Amino acid sequence: MSASLAPECNEVKERYDACFLKWYSEKYLRGNGKTDECANMFKDYQKCLKVALEERKIDKLLDEAREDSKDHDSVHLKRK
Amino acid sequence: MKVFSNSVTFNYSWEEVSIANWQKYGPWNDKSAHVIAVDTLNRSVDPETGILRTERLITCKQSAPKWLQSVLGSADTSQVFETSYVNPAEKTVTMVSHNLTMSNLINVEETVVYKPVNGKQTQFVQDARITALCGGWQRIKNNIEDALVTRFRENAVKGKEGFECVLAMSRRAFAEEREREQNGQLMMA
Repeated sequence: MSASLAPECNEVKERYDACFLKWYSEKYLRGNGKTDECANMFKDYQKCLKVALEERKIDKLLDEAREDSKDHDSVHLKRK
Repeated sequence: MKVFSNSVTFNYSWEEVSIANWQKYGPWNDKSAHVIAVDTLNRSVDPETGILRTERLITCKQSAPKWLQSVLGSADTSQVFETSYVNPAEKTVTMVSHNLTMSNLINVEETVVYKPVNGKQTQFVQDARITALCGGWQRIKNNIEDALVTRFRENAVKGKEGFECVLAMSRRAFAEEREREQNGQLMMA
């Protein structure tokens, strides 16, 4: 898997990515994706990443991008 | 605005492609050195539809042509915000990406869809819309848009080659995993 933009987050990211890929291929694609066994690892990764995004001032850019991509959600999540 | 469209068929099942897609920019891809980092920002399964929604931040080495960097101001890295949707019922992966870097000057929106052709083949359809927003001469805007379309065309070839490697490695890894599991079961018996 790929690195994180913040080297200090690489270890927690790698652990989460491995967990996700296993869940995706063995559970989710087979219709058993209800439970999220990687949630704790994701939390650790996000805690680390959040600091890095703030430091690099990317968090604000992301908020704007998220706002702009709301239209895609209504199309691709098939929400009415 | 300029549009770049591209379509490729991979000789792998949709399931295999959708798994390998998460590893596309990893060490198995020797054609993606320009992608420095891929970070997941959000991920959830929609309880109604079962659609997996993921937000990612993709960090690339700046690869705009030199003259364009001097026009637009250069940075070492550029970043892309990607939202993807996996629909396991319809067997589609849809990825929508926007540039975060220089977004006040250029707007690049790329949509990629992976869908099955049959049980053994998957189609990749890419569509990018490139718009230079900077004021000034139309000719300059056209040149900027053309340069980015050219870059998309070059990257499309590399992207296919790189992803073919990832698909092959991923298939091999899964086969080895299965073999290990079977051997394990034999040992237990």
